[in-house]
Amino acid sequence: MLIGIDVGGTTTDAVLVDGGSVTKTAYVPTDHDDLLKCLLGALDELVKGVDTSKIERVVLSTTLITNMIAEGKTDPVALVLIPGPGTNPKDYSLGEAIILDGAIDFRGKEIERLNESQIKDAASKISGQGFSRVAVVGKFCQRNHAHELKVGEIMARAMPEAEIELGHRVSGQLNFPRRAATTMLTVATKDKYREFAEAVARALKHRKISSPVYILKADGGTLPLDKSVQMPVETIFSGPAASIMGVLALTTPGQTSVVVDIGGTTTDLALILSGKPLLSSKGAQVGSLLTQVRAFAVKSVAIGGDSVINVAGGCLAIGPHRNGPPLCMGGTGPTPTDALRVLGLSSIGDGAKAKKAMQDVADKLGCSSLEAAQSVVDAVVDRIVFEVNEMFQEWEQEPAYRIWEIVKKERLLAQSVIGVGGGAPALVPLVAARLGAASIVPEYAPVANAIGAAVARPTLTLNLHIDTERNEYIVAEEGLIGKVTDKKMTTEYAERLAKRLLAERAERLGIGEYAGEAEVTYSEVFNMIRGWTTVGRLLDIRMEIPAGLLPSWGPC
Amino acid sequence: MSSLRKARTGLIFFPAFDWAISPTHPEREERLLYTRDQIFEEGLMDLPEIEEYKPRLAEMKDIARTHFCVPDVESQVTQAHLIAAGSTLTLADALEKGEIRNGFALVRPPGHHSMRVVHGNRGFCNINNMAILVEYLRTKYSHKRIAVVDTDVHHGDGTQEIFWHDPNVLCISFHQDGRTLYPGTGSVNEMGGPQALGRTLNIPLPPGTTDEGIHYVLDNLILPILAEFKPDLVLNSAGQDNHYTDPLANMRFSANGYARLNEKLAPDICVLEGGYAVETALPYVNTGIIQAMAGLDYSHVKEPDYVPGRFVQTDEMWREIKKTVGQVQKIWDDRDELVKDALQGLGDFYRRKKRVFYDTDMINENQEEVVRLCSNCAGFITISSSAQRGYGILNTAFCVSLPRGACSSCREDAKEEYEEHVDDRRIGYVYMQDKDRDKFKFCNNMTHTQRGY
Repeated sequence: MLIGIDVGGTTTDAVLVDGGSVTKTAYVPTDHDDLLKCLLGALDELVKGVDTSKIERVVLSTTLITNMIAEGKTDPVALVLIPGPGTNPKDYSLGEAIILDGAIDFRGKEIERLNESQIKDAASKISGQGFSRVAVVGKFCQRNHAHELKVGEIMARAMPEAEIELGHRVSGQLNFPRRAATTMLTVATKDKYREFAEAVARALKHRKISSPVYILKADGGTLPLDKSVQMPVETIFSGPAASIMGVLALTTPGQTSVVVDIGGTTTDLALILSGKPLLSSKGAQVGSLLTQVRAFAVKSVAIGGDSVINVAGGCLAIGPHRNGPPLCMGGTGPTPTDALRVLGLSSIGDGAKAKKAMQDVADKLGCSSLEAAQSVVDAVVDRIVFEVNEMFQEWEQEPAYRIWEIVKKERLLAQSVIGVGGGAPALVPLVAARLGAASIVPEYAPVANAIGAAVARPTLTLNLHIDTERNEYIVAEEGLIGKVTDKKMTTEYAERLAKRLLAERAERLGIGEYAGEAEVTYSEVFNMIRGWTTVGRLLDIRMEIPAGLLPSWGPC
Repeated sequence: MSSLRKARTGLIFFPAFDWAISPTHPEREERLLYTRDQIFEEGLMDLPEIEEYKPRLAEMKDIARTHFCVPDVESQVTQAHLIAAGSTLTLADALEKGEIRNGFALVRPPGHHSMRVVHGNRGFCNINNMAILVEYLRTKYSHKRIAVVDTDVHHGDGTQEIFWHDPNVLCISFHQDGRTLYPGTGSVNEMGGPQALGRTLNIPLPPGTTDEGIHYVLDNLILPILAEFKPDLVLNSAGQDNHYTDPLANMRFSANGYARLNEKLAPDICVLEGGYAVETALPYVNTGIIQAMAGLDYSHVKEPDYVPGRFVQTDEMWREIKKTVGQVQKIWDDRDELVKDALQGLGDFYRRKKRVFYDTDMINENQEEVVRLCSNCAGFITISSSAQRGYGILNTAFCVSLPRGACSSCREDAKEEYEEHVDDRRIGYVYMQDKDRDKFKFCNNMTHTQRGY
């Protein structure tokens, strides 16, 4: 038996999956001030009368980190940068930062030494300002950790109580400002996240649920709860990730589809391309910060069932705000939900009130209420179709750096539009028709998110950089540096090395059994020519266990 | 001004990681690898001042508008060339649509040594990205006056040759003196065809010229001339091999010097040309140029071994530079008179013979170029070309180019020239370039087949 719980914006949904199908669902309203209570409330509701000893796995997806950041409840962090030559750090929107001397270049070579007394001064300044959390991030530190380690060490000696996070442990990919932001958010959320994780563990123990507990990440993968405390920000946006994984679980594999989650004020859109959810190319945007958190590319459009309708100069304007519920459900003004009711596309609420709402709109437009309702629905569908087309176009226009990528990139068209969320059943067929795609609203659409959490498998990424001229390989996130003796290392050998290192990392994170699912998602090799001879090779391999479903999930 | 500030700098980064002339050639896969590392690590593409674009492939027609490729465009270009050229066109469209305020095509392979007739690769270039951009801007967006400033260490001989007779394209190239560096040309007295004298300006500089020297030339010669010429657009053939670490040249320019140059020049579009110090120069120079174009602070860009004041010019170098600047200034000041004098001594046609050597492909080409000196239009041009690769095949071509705004008499004569040479078995290929109608055709005389773009 598998349990999935998604703490969503309005409700907390829970499902029980057994033998490849959903056997029970439960939900409680979400109380944003006590997520733990919601989670346990939904869980208790779900496991009533269930033999908890048969539970094999519990997966949670929570809005904890999202809310913390949105509400500004993260802990204060001192940011220490070792930027070296390049951009003026002030051009990054990272806020106040202490800038240290010292520099590493793209090859991992030290090009400027650290200044120890400057570091000590920085440490006393930081502790003097009352910070107990520090993020230390150097440019190209993923190619050589020495500076970050040294700065971290000096800071730790000066501030033994402080929590210090080093950039290279957070991400091995290129992008210094994103890595700085991600490192900052990691250390800013770590303590509160740990408290939450420990509380969950205690509560489950108290309920005699002894199965492993996982948390869902923004890339649709799971991670053991106790390991996730090292990387709390990765759990951001796990709600949309849960829905997308749910859609994967509930539909035919391998399709290209659009996931449309129509809520009250917003509609979330995501793409599944040939069966694989599209990831945002460089990482998620969290509030105003660009990060390196791997996340599905989700576009939030400010239009939904409760969007306010205005008529100005004979033109309809829908959204972006909500002025309360639809008129047909006791609200004060017309909304798209009222329009759907008038057209007979839904049976929610009071028909007479819906008609009144549309009559208001019709009076301003100078048409019948039926025509007004049709115009409103058309406008909503237009907007969603426009945004979906934009998403496909953005994907097609993503920059590429090799000839074959530019020449070969195919055009993809949506085969199906899959609806989840409250407004889905009425609107999805209309959107699908416009896109020339099949319309699918799965049977369990309202709890697709919880199903997604229940059946998602772990994900993992490993970035391996090899520089055979410098005789070393490096896995930044692990802080691992190894020796290389073969100057002419082949891609095949490097990929085998990556596979072994990924298996070791998976083992440490408690997801070793999935290491076999890993695949190479990026691989490049360059000969280094100096003069007319090859002096070495640079190889970069990214290996991933991609998002996927547990093998035991088998319907469809 | 406020809308200008809002608009972004367009950037196309196309390092062609899967294209090389040969594995150990300077123009190889690795060339922009460290530049990639640097600009990605800087997070430049995420900054609100910068918008990254995906390149498109240039069409055959875009190439034929500029070049006579022998035997045809398809045999002279690879997909990498089409993407590099197409990048400049993508930026041109974005610029004209107002999406960006300026743009940088950080792409390879380069182009500024490619001339009007193309038999093969010379100076690492097959087709001239910059010239293709200029012709596109004029055809699609009707720009009249364009200035091309070539800041590569090598003389931009291809661009010069293509616009040699065109008074509306001002070609300015500063470079290491041709007596000390490939391609050997680019002396002060190369100043354009009789109708366009003074619209090609060459500024040869002594080896070892520093930031100070190049900025002297910029401040005292190039910028004032641009202000007088009042072009619709300023384009920069942005080679990076004036850098003090470049392995193929001997200048002493720095990353900061390059950034400052682009800030002052304020080009509408920059197109990368050469630059082969892959680790010691390119990552820093490119970062600096991007920042300068985007209006960002570039003062933090510094090569690891650079200290201000590291390079000093000798008095002799200063004298030489100032003398050259004076000579070029005089050519510019006298340009209209030079044209008048030159045309007086000529009849209805201007002829010149020239030899072109393709160093990369070891091809020798002989050309005779004839320009109709027409009082009603720019006059049509014909080029007879024969080229031999080693002791191999001799390729011969007859090319006719009809300018924009051609008069009816030139149009008729040009048509006649083309038709006369079709089926002339002594000539392999005959070409007709009609820039007014944007139509390009050619005939293979050996197979009697005609095609067009």
